[in-house]
Amino acid sequence: MLTNHPTLRYIGSRGIWYLATLIVAIAINFFLPRLGTANPVDVIMGKVASGLSTEAAKEKEEAYLKEFGLVETNNLGEIVRDSESHPIKASLLTQFGSYLWMTLQGDLGTSFLNYPKKVSTIVAEAVPWTLALQFPTIVLGWIIGNLIGALAAYKRGVVDGLFFPLSLLSCSIPFFAFGMLLVYQFAIIWEFFPATGGYANDVMQGFTWEFISSVAYHYTLPFLSIFPVLAGGMAIGMRSMAIYELGTDYIKYSQWLGIKESRIVLYVFRNAMLPQLTGLALSLGMMIGGALITELIFSYPGLGTAMLKAIEGNDYPMIQGCTLLIAITVLIANFTVDVLIGILDPRVKAGQAL
Amino acid sequence: MTKASAKMKNPAKFLFVGALLGCLVSCGGKSGTSGSAGQQERTTFPRAETLYLAGFQWGAPNTFNPLIDQPAWPIYGPPFNLMYEPLVLYNTLSGKMDPLLASVHEQTADHISVIMNPAARWSDNKPLTAADVTFTFEIGKRFKSAPVSYVWDFVSKITVEKVADPAGGGGKELEKVTFHVNKEKENNQLALLNILKSFQILPSHVLEARLKALDGNFSELQKDSMDKDPVVSGPYNLHAYSPEKIILERRDAYWGNKALYGGRMPQPKYIIHPIYKSNDHFSIALQKGDLDVNSNFIPRIWLKFKSGVGTWFKDPPYFEPGSIPMFTINTTRYPLSDRNYRRAMAHAINYTNVKELAVSGYSPDLNPGLILPFGNEAAYFSAEDAAKYGAGHDLDRAKQVLADAGYTSIFKDGKLDHMENAKGEKVPTMRIRSPAGWSDWESIVKIAVKDLRAAGIDVREGFCDEGLYWQTLPTGNFDLMLQTPEASLSPALPWSRFKAVMASRNWKPEGEKMNENQGRYNSPKGADYNPRVDELIQIIPNLANEEAKKAAYRELNVIFMKDQPALPVVYRPEEFYDFSTKHWTNFATKDNPYAPPQLPCFGAGRNMLWEIKPVQ
Repeated sequence: MLTNHPTLRYIGSRGIWYLATLIVAIAINFFLPRLGTANPVDVIMGKVASGLSTEAAKEKEEAYLKEFGLVETNNLGEIVRDSESHPIKASLLTQFGSYLWMTLQGDLGTSFLNYPKKVSTIVAEAVPWTLALQFPTIVLGWIIGNLIGALAAYKRGVVDGLFFPLSLLSCSIPFFAFGMLLVYQFAIIWEFFPATGGYANDVMQGFTWEFISSVAYHYTLPFLSIFPVLAGGMAIGMRSMAIYELGTDYIKYSQWLGIKESRIVLYVFRNAMLPQLTGLALSLGMMIGGALITELIFSYPGLGTAMLKAIEGNDYPMIQGCTLLIAITVLIANFTVDVLIGILDPRVKAGQAL
Repeated sequence: MTKASAKMKNPAKFLFVGALLGCLVSCGGKSGTSGSAGQQERTTFPRAETLYLAGFQWGAPNTFNPLIDQPAWPIYGPPFNLMYEPLVLYNTLSGKMDPLLASVHEQTADHISVIMNPAARWSDNKPLTAADVTFTFEIGKRFKSAPVSYVWDFVSKITVEKVADPAGGGGKELEKVTFHVNKEKENNQLALLNILKSFQILPSHVLEARLKALDGNFSELQKDSMDKDPVVSGPYNLHAYSPEKIILERRDAYWGNKALYGGRMPQPKYIIHPIYKSNDHFSIALQKGDLDVNSNFIPRIWLKFKSGVGTWFKDPPYFEPGSIPMFTINTTRYPLSDRNYRRAMAHAINYTNVKELAVSGYSPDLNPGLILPFGNEAAYFSAEDAAKYGAGHDLDRAKQVLADAGYTSIFKDGKLDHMENAKGEKVPTMRIRSPAGWSDWESIVKIAVKDLRAAGIDVREGFCDEGLYWQTLPTGNFDLMLQTPEASLSPALPWSRFKAVMASRNWKPEGEKMNENQGRYNSPKGADYNPRVDELIQIIPNLANEEAKKAAYRELNVIFMKDQPALPVVYRPEEFYDFSTKHWTNFATKDNPYAPPQLPCFGAGRNMLWEIKPVQ
């Protein structure tokens, strides 16, 4: 039936692939953190066991293992023990089953290290900050970078001579180093902008002018630390693609046919844009986990540090929650771009129609 | 409007950014407030009325429930006393217990009794009585997963009786609460004293009612975040919190203002604990005056003095030392099982370099042994023993000890290649474990390794993930490990430090867990077991005679120095205490010692809240 609708057929087949990828990702998210020998309860016990007698420490450890579902329990909620009265560890498959069931119900579980806080609460508090920092920066960086790249390729001469080295320079500076330089110069020496935080310490979150203006003020340096790096990289990519397209036969043919220059530029843009779209998808997909360094440099709120702590402390539910979110973002971003490419590039649809 | 969105031309993107901002606003608004009924929600906090304090909360606050192991500041940590209060305050300057909810009345080898302060009140104006005290501790008996449960290893029972006011007080009857030492288990009144200053007393009328509503399900009660208008007894209560900060608001009706502080109120109306993500930010914030008082490690703090930053001492070591970071040695592994090898290590490390380079000189010169030669422990320190038995830095001596024990160090191109023992066998390389990324600890390990290798001792760095560090510490699956046993100051020191390093009463082989003596020194099943160590650890807490106590400590310290089961490397303060005078002045210092060098949220350090003055 879909033979007559190549675009729909294309979207459908991609959708199935992405669903399969998501299922594999969920399984990997679950098993990967559990492959190591480290145990989340050991990390907690390391901090709270000092001074406890062996017996008291053992009781406490077992209470945690039970609470986190890491040991088998009977109908009465008691820990099942082996002949030497050691608690029997819950099998990975049982744990995986309950994880899948909870995930399907939208319950990401309770964080071990931030017990009794829900993973969904931690994520909900942090993700808006990460998105607010990353999404506009990536999209703006992509748009401006592409414009500069295309302009440099088409105009050449002075424009290229100015923008190309600048783009090369900006994308070669590691953004953490650039961020630190910004903090040093603008926050510590000149004191134009605040050095840390997502908003001032004396302001409460809320729909108030103080909060919104404070967020904007604190946004400047983190934004400036990422934006030039992204825009520079995009500009270089776009410039080389556009130069390549400008030298192709169809452009020469169009020029020979006497087609208007603006129309030729459009052809060039459309063709050079395809690999750039993939680049955008990758950047957007990585945005959830990608702000760690920026968060650390600016003490900016966000998911990066929460995830780092979860990984260091083997906080399985928290790791799973974060990686699930990353997997979903990557897949959605890629799916969207796949669909866009399908619409923009007639060859893709043509391939499906065969 | 953010800078990014201002540049946008597409209305859809405006909408998106607007939605994100809306999300930020709503998330914070909901998670944050403590929801005081009928109170106008503040959106900003006047600088002149707000004290910024940091160092105890590193991640987003999880809960404010005192019934679980690790709730957020100011519930969990060095006995905080801003919201819930312990019975007494430990004054690290005098070594005495200052009165709070109660005062220490009697202390014998069998029991410790306290007299309750009749003025103590909860924030709902109900009196705080002995019933709350017994309830708080009995929770540990009723529910094993409560943090207070281990107390019953030290306490056999708690009794309450009415007595006449010892201070006269017009014939009023007061409540006396007696904690009886558990003679059958720990038999230790020193630790009992520690318990009195550590556990915050909880409101029985509130918690018992909640427990009843939950059909006695304690696990459910533990999941309650207790952040909505909690009933507390302290001078502050939770105002709001978010992943970025915790805000406390002064309770003007605090009972202690009249009963303990001459009718005065604490100066700051708000206390805000900002949550930064990197150590550098505490340093920047303190220097800029955005932070008023801080307990994070700040390197080279004297460079910040010109920006109005101050410390307890004006000159080195700047901070009052209170604990001993040390290399715990796995004494069951060869060659660490050889006492000569351990003593050679002790001679090889240049402790002055460790002090100057790793901890910015924030330590007096290290003396051998486990007793601090200053403060409240100085009474038990013997300089004569330290000189006679201790192994100080002496490179030639280190080499000599190794050679005498039959070890040969093989150098190639001026660098240590390997070691051989008297039989000509290669000696295994030993590694010092320390969490990766703890910068001052990493420096300590690097300096020590450099010195040890220069002396011909085959030791290397073994930095590991923090999770792995905590996992291996109790199981003994390490060669050497950097740790600070008994980091908090308490009336049980230095006894508790000896116990943490040398006690083998609960000795377990490598692989099984030990919460003290993780180096597995002095195995009761070993051929060279020295029963005197455990005997001394057992008797010291109950020695009433100061001379006998001093002699026992000396004996124990000599055994430590001779056997060297761990390598103390430097001294460290209990908590760093530094402050900025840009917005608040009159913080306690050595020259103005009205409160101990502690942050004003725990111990007798809280007295500062009544004494600091805003800069006009």
